[in-house]
Amino acid sequence: MAKESTTIDVGEPSTVTKSSSHVAVDEKKKGFVAAAAGGGYKRGLTIFDFLLRLAAIGITIGASSVMFTAEETLPFFTQFLQFQAGYDDFPTFQFFVISIAIVASYLVLSLPFSIVSIVRPLAVVPRLILLISDTVVLTLTTAAAAAAAAIVYLAHNGNANTNWLPICQQFGDFCQATSTAVVAASISVVFFVLLIVISAIALKRH
Amino acid sequence: MKNESTIIDVPAESSSAMKGKAPLIGVASGSGGYKRGLSIFDFLLRLAAIIAASVAAGTMFTSDETLPFFTQFLQFEAGYDDLPTYQFFVIAMSIVSGYLVLSLPISVVTIVRPLATAPRLLLLVLDTAALAFNMAAASSAAAISYLAHNGNQNTNWLPICQQFGDFCLKSSGAVVSSFVAVVFFTILVVLSGVALKRH
Repeated sequence: MAKESTTIDVGEPSTVTKSSSHVAVDEKKKGFVAAAAGGGYKRGLTIFDFLLRLAAIGITIGASSVMFTAEETLPFFTQFLQFQAGYDDFPTFQFFVISIAIVASYLVLSLPFSIVSIVRPLAVVPRLILLISDTVVLTLTTAAAAAAAAIVYLAHNGNANTNWLPICQQFGDFCQATSTAVVAASISVVFFVLLIVISAIALKRH
Repeated sequence: MKNESTIIDVPAESSSAMKGKAPLIGVASGSGGYKRGLSIFDFLLRLAAIIAASVAAGTMFTSDETLPFFTQFLQFEAGYDDLPTYQFFVIAMSIVSGYLVLSLPISVVTIVRPLATAPRLLLLVLDTAALAFNMAAASSAAAISYLAHNGNQNTNWLPICQQFGDFCLKSSGAVVSSFVAVVFFTILVVLSGVALKRH
């Protein structure tokens, strides 16, 4: 095996030019937004992610508390129907209150991970953790919102085939409160989908 | 500027002999290998999810039951179209199965080009939307199934399963199958997220 050899010219390391450019960069971009070329738009995405999380916290806490306080007592007495309605009369609504509360506390606990991703936009592990746990919480939120929506639909319309009477005709306020809670939970589902997509875009390589 | 020079030894013989022995599936860089494996697993999961989703839709669609006797107060026929939530369930699971079949080619693209991010990102976004849609159908049908099994004393909603046993059994089975599809979707989303990340 004949060996060939080649000669490569290596120039003198340009330490002089490097240090001057570094000083210029540091003076101009010392602010919070400065980052390497790849981290710029990822940091922006993560800030948007953080704000979305704050909004989702507000909405989920609102949904859970509106459902929790959705009680109504009718002033009159009827022979066949109960004259009180509350969230604990429906196991589905109990599930809704508990799971949306769990989702709200998860969101609060995920805020530090989001902050870490803002500070280190190129780090992969916090984002991946957020993506996986956001997916799990998305399924929980959707389950609670959809199940409660099915019951709210029944309460509004009833079902002639199964002889299930619509109770909203008697309990108007209760129906209003539960419907509001379901709508708020559905909005938080949209937020979660956005959060997952943001994490995925921020994860991808260039 | 003083020029320095260094000498690097290069073997004359090319490695064409070694190239011929390389496996067909192998990828040049190391990072494409495990991503290709993830894509193959993704494809198989998609096939399984197609089965789960279409079984759910089909079972709910054919869950009719006609009672042999006549009662004065309750209808003696029960089908999925008697409950709007079950109608939504059948339609949603059919849409989800159709989406899964259409996403198979994109999954094949990610197997063939494991380092491309655009197909994976597209799959992740669409899978997340399909996951939410699937879960909505599954859990609303589960709420109605729970009512059909247990009823609600406070609202005087009677449990219909005591009369319509077969209908209840089939509809509950369909709901369980769609929850299995939800689990598959969750794994698919997480898979796409892991395969997207840079090294």
